[in-house]
Amino acid sequence: MSQQASELFDNFQELTPSEFFRKNKQMLGYSGKIRSLTMVFHELITNSFDAAEEAGILPEIKINLQKIEKDHYLLLHSDNGPGIPEDFIMKVYCTMFAGSKFRNVQSRGQQGLGCSGCVLLSQMTTGEPAKVISGYEEGDELKGVKLKFKMDVKKNKGLLLKREDADVKQTGVHLELQFKDVSYSLAEQGAYEYIRRTMMGNPHAKITFKDPTGHKYVFKRAAEIVPVLPKEVLPHPKGVTSDDLIFMAKHTDKRRFRSLLSSSLSRMSNKRLAEIEEITGIDLNKRPKDMKWDEAEKIVYAFGKMDFMAPPTSGLIPIGSKQVEEGMKAILNPEFISATTRKPVTYRGGVAFIIEAAIAYGGDSGRLVNEQRKAEIMRFANRVPLSFDQGSCAITEALKSIDWKRYGLRDLENTPATIFVNIISTQVPYLSTGKQSVAPEPEIIHEVRQASMKVARKLQKYIRAKKAAKEEALRSKIFEDYVPLIIKEAASLAEVEAPAYQEVLAKVTRRSLAELLGEDPDKVDEIEEELDASIDESTSKSQAKTIDDFEDTDNVESKTDNVDFEE
Amino acid sequence: MADTKEDKKLNKKEITYNKLKGLGEDIISDVVKNNIPTFKVPSRGTSNIVYDDAKRYYVLGDRYGKRSLGNVKQIKKIGQMVYVSNFCKDLVQREKTATLREMYYVSEGWGIGFDNQQESNIVGEDIEVTLGMTREDLGLMPEEDGASVYGDIVLQEDDIEINALKSGKSGYTISPTIDEVEFVDHDVKRVIAVETMGMFHRMVQEEAYKKFDTLIVGLKGQAARATRRFLKRVNEELNLPVYVCNDGDPWGFHIAMVIISGSAKLAHVNHDLATPNAKFLGVTATDIVNYELPTDPLKDIDVLRLKELAKDPRYRDENWQIEIKKMLKIGKKAEQQSFSKYGLEYVVDTYFPEKLESME
Repeated sequence: MSQQASELFDNFQELTPSEFFRKNKQMLGYSGKIRSLTMVFHELITNSFDAAEEAGILPEIKINLQKIEKDHYLLLHSDNGPGIPEDFIMKVYCTMFAGSKFRNVQSRGQQGLGCSGCVLLSQMTTGEPAKVISGYEEGDELKGVKLKFKMDVKKNKGLLLKREDADVKQTGVHLELQFKDVSYSLAEQGAYEYIRRTMMGNPHAKITFKDPTGHKYVFKRAAEIVPVLPKEVLPHPKGVTSDDLIFMAKHTDKRRFRSLLSSSLSRMSNKRLAEIEEITGIDLNKRPKDMKWDEAEKIVYAFGKMDFMAPPTSGLIPIGSKQVEEGMKAILNPEFISATTRKPVTYRGGVAFIIEAAIAYGGDSGRLVNEQRKAEIMRFANRVPLSFDQGSCAITEALKSIDWKRYGLRDLENTPATIFVNIISTQVPYLSTGKQSVAPEPEIIHEVRQASMKVARKLQKYIRAKKAAKEEALRSKIFEDYVPLIIKEAASLAEVEAPAYQEVLAKVTRRSLAELLGEDPDKVDEIEEELDASIDESTSKSQAKTIDDFEDTDNVESKTDNVDFEE
Repeated sequence: MADTKEDKKLNKKEITYNKLKGLGEDIISDVVKNNIPTFKVPSRGTSNIVYDDAKRYYVLGDRYGKRSLGNVKQIKKIGQMVYVSNFCKDLVQREKTATLREMYYVSEGWGIGFDNQQESNIVGEDIEVTLGMTREDLGLMPEEDGASVYGDIVLQEDDIEINALKSGKSGYTISPTIDEVEFVDHDVKRVIAVETMGMFHRMVQEEAYKKFDTLIVGLKGQAARATRRFLKRVNEELNLPVYVCNDGDPWGFHIAMVIISGSAKLAHVNHDLATPNAKFLGVTATDIVNYELPTDPLKDIDVLRLKELAKDPRYRDENWQIEIKKMLKIGKKAEQQSFSKYGLEYVVDTYFPEKLESME
């Protein structure tokens, strides 16, 4: 009756990464029609940016999204990057977990899944092949090639259908993919908003986007500098796991634990090595190839107990507050903007990160909901907009914990403001594979709060000044309206001709301005009054009391209502 | 005698007119000197209302607030004061009066008007305190008439002579313009003011005016300004003692006290309204006990009010303190009309004679 083990294992098979993700496309973020298309944009734009920047080129991307029928689109995406050499084209687009980004470096993509994921989605939903034209330099020669291929899911590699030479005028990649079961939307999580936000995080880029209705949006460059390329940095001891150590040990050419550790990790001085030897009791002169799991565990445990210098931060390149401001200005045309970049700090003791925050107010800031602008939060990780899973994100959590009323924003939700937060790190602690929300590490929350509160204070100052100016205008108007009337009426009361009053009007306006600016209004005219010598000494004292008196009067009236019920 | 009165009246009119004009002159003179016009308004805050032991009524202290044309919060009030002053100057000149409500409607046509009538009332008071004149001096009259007066007194309003004994059963109604009224003749020895019109008519029917040679004044609750002015004038001009008879409860006590010592709210005009010589006749707590009057138990709010009164400087007099404590002790109150327990005539035949005898 029972089956033999060998029978059970008849169906045992190995899944290639492509097969795995074909069955689990939501793990790549492809779930839901709107989200799927946004993810495609995300992957392609991210790749183009990384490629261009690595080649020192200011990125320029052209995207043309055409609607074939409902939920069926053709996407044309071209960039001005260095292009892909012919031999690597199908590797980039058809082989999962192939790429150049498995280093401890601040970059947008990290897993080598992006492009191949897009091709996979296209093929799964339409069965159509992908078309790529790549222009690249080989030696001094500009080469162009056009490939049409499919993905062989079983083998996790490309299947070439057609190849021809192409006439290209510059380097770069042009990609054509078709998708079904996706949908273009102007919603907050849609593709258009994704591009808009991308531009805020990447003011040095230019994107031209033609939407399915044929409307062409040109997002112009707001900064002319290619961001400095982040350097690869050695991992910090506090950021590694036992498994990482074993992996390093297996792939090192070092001969001893000692040299393995000091060459693979940052901040690993001889003093620290001696400390490790003492805590773990492991002979660090052993050969790395012999490292056992429990040894790796002991070493990682020791790391946790030890004090290390903070990790080097040279690997982190923030956008820079000036660039953030320019990027946001170009898109939001705000009335006020302030941005700040914090100093690098670490979370979990060993992973360095930088928080940048900005707040834009007025103009096109905020999200338009029913003709009314509401506050919006824009989250970024290494310049990439995070469009989904807002609720669980550390950035959202930190922003929600701020008492915005203290910054003069009584009703933040209904304020026309865009709050921008970017986290820069070699290892952004994402909550899930979709990479759409940042884990609420206490240090990250702290930094987001500090940065946001700083820009909020600046906004508060601006709003105050604006209010004061408005108030001043209002006051001037009150004086301009009332002074002539009062003087005319007083003249009629005194039965004389109304005298010239321009000087008195100027004086009261000046005085009121001083009062508004928090100066002592009685000081302003002091000199003149001393000359006039006609104001008694008690002026300033009684002046200060006057308002209290009037309020006092109201109290009396309500109080005396109890005492006397008369008239 | 008529001549001097006419002079006095003219004089007062002149004073008021000049004071109002002076307000305008002060402002203009500041403007001519290129100074920001300011003037002092006596403060009506609680801390500036003090009980004057010698005068036996509330007066304003010497604190004042300064209003400046250069203060954005005050400029509108100054404007309103100037417009109202001009309005009043015109009233005084033409010997007319207007109610505050009428002024409020007139103000619709002004460059600086009022947002509500409360605002115009406050500005009216501001001018009263600033100039030290009463509202009536300024030609601003209250809406409501004063009390009813019955008894042998002859008054002259303009060209009309009125005998309060021959003005019907409800007597003569005190006009808001009582200051314009002249006392021509009288044949009474005292004045008895009662809280309710019920008691007023009882006294008229029982011919109390004959029995006690008295004027009967029906207050109709809290005495209006005109009534208080009338009582003060008969007390001071005709030298008649004034007695007040109200319900035997804290509210009745206080109606009497406002006639006697003035109110805190009108501290600035109490010198024209308070009648410190007036006396509270009853109903006292002692009366409630002695006459075994039908009573109601004191409510919480009555008790609270009695305790407040006990602390009020106007009630510092020993007799008042005794009466308040006694009422709190017996925990009961009684109405004026409760004397009818002993028959309708009892109050006039027995109560008043006994009380008057004890007091005079």
